Amino acid sequence: MSGQHRLGPLPDDWTLPAVEAVNRAWFTSGAITLQQCAGCGTLQHPPEEICHVCGAMTFSPRAVAPTGIVHSYTVVHHSVHPSLDRAVPYAVVLVALDGAPGLRVVGNLLGVPVDEVAIGLPVVATWEELPPTDGEPLLLPQWQRQDQLPQQT
Amino acid sequence: MHGAAVVVGVGESTYYKRGGAPISEFQLACDAIKNAVADAGLALADVDGLVSYMDRDEPVRLSAALGLGDLQFSAQTFGGGGNGSGAAVTLADAAITAGYAETVVVFRSLAQGQFHRYGRPSVGRRARGAAAYTAPYGMLSPAQITAMQTMRFMHDHGVSEDSLAEVVLTSFAHAQHNPRAIRYGTPLTREQYFASRWIAEPFRLYDCCPENDGAAAIVITTPERARDLAATPVAIVAAAHGLSHRDGVAAFGEENFPTAHYRTVARSLWQRAGVQPADIDVAQFYENFTGPVLMAIAEMGFCEPGELNAFVAGGALRAPHGRLPINTSGGNLGEAYIHGMGNVVEAVRQVRGDSTCQVPDVALSLSVSGPGFAPGSAVLFGPA
Repeated sequence: MSGQHRLGPLPDDWTLPAVEAVNRAWFTSGAITLQQCAGCGTLQHPPEEICHVCGAMTFSPRAVAPTGIVHSYTVVHHSVHPSLDRAVPYAVVLVALDGAPGLRVVGNLLGVPVDEVAIGLPVVATWEELPPTDGEPLLLPQWQRQDQLPQQT
Repeated sequence: MHGAAVVVGVGESTYYKRGGAPISEFQLACDAIKNAVADAGLALADVDGLVSYMDRDEPVRLSAALGLGDLQFSAQTFGGGGNGSGAAVTLADAAITAGYAETVVVFRSLAQGQFHRYGRPSVGRRARGAAAYTAPYGMLSPAQITAMQTMRFMHDHGVSEDSLAEVVLTSFAHAQHNPRAIRYGTPLTREQYFASRWIAEPFRLYDCCPENDGAAAIVITTPERARDLAATPVAIVAAAHGLSHRDGVAAFGEENFPTAHYRTVARSLWQRAGVQPADIDVAQFYENFTGPVLMAIAEMGFCEPGELNAFVAGGALRAPHGRLPINTSGGNLGEAYIHGMGNVVEAVRQVRGDSTCQVPDVALSLSVSGPGFAPGSAVLFGPA
């Protein structure tokens, strides 16, 4: 069941991302920090080890607006693991970022009943602080309805 | 030069519900290969190539165990899952056409009762690569991933739940004619479909393929070798696999999201075959989940996405006289989920004229492999 530090629906022993060079900013910055190519300025997500436009392999972090629109979603009813049995039903959303046209981010939609999740909902990012997986605290991007802010958690 | 090889045999193991096979996945593979080779009227020693996709049963072990001929060619394709069946046929055709092997068996064996279940992903570990952006949010099973794609697809194009249902009901209806099918004798009604529980919206239970144990195989050889055989050869009219550059981006980052990853395959296949979708007599569309089937039908060019509701309605997908009969063996949903190799076998049977839901006068029989995961692949068969 959810620990006190978790905002999302999933349990403490759930899968967390491995923080690696390519995704460190994304998972630790506490901002919607995208990977921007140092050569041509292209933003890409998920981060990759090479720019898909110019082939450069150096990047700088670029924070964009922490807002977006629900582009798609699913409400998961069937638990695929015993540790999820008490988490279902939960919503997973795909958010189209306002600050990076064409780029989309996966997260949970927090504080919204699953039957109110819909394509087109304006959402804003929040961050779940999670125990370090590789030395640094994880700040996992999650999403809330824009019209529900501010929300204490 | 492509498509010079011909299919001369098909075979499968008995199909079982997950955990129901009394023999191992390797033994299932051996059964399917032996049955396909016998169907071709060949000896196991005539086989000099093995091709598969995402399979654990290594050609070296199979060759030693089955007493195959000297192995000249073995390969399997990259990429996730059941989208590789058409690509495997492509590899076999390439090997035979280029002269690297004479007689190649394409096979797939899958015992989800013996090994891990696709619907039960492992958890609690550090997620790396693409999974780092999805698994922490409880987005990890194939049903969940394709639900995310399908939800947007239905929204964009007004695709109805009735159209999802039609894919399921078609497979179950066809399975009632096929004694090999796991769902043989257990029909499904529209009411039962809509009453079934949610898995991941917009998918209900019956939108999702089962987990099964079984194996299927086809035997491919040269036209010259086929002339000596009793079996009616089936031509590989064309085959294709691949994807466009930015349609491989992980975590729903595809440029064309939502996509079944079939636009590139469609373009290549129709160009190589010199035919149009309207020319196709019967098709097998891999049903991992219903939504991706509809996406693949549209991306293969059978209709525009916005025309899908009309395209599939009114029995249009049903054999023998629908506009485009699909999944005539019962498919993954009704016959068995053997990672789509059963769909390939059925596509060959439709040309030979020995399907349990035979469409009359088949000149072009299509098999489209798994949608929703990249790269896609497809193969088109016809009379040799």
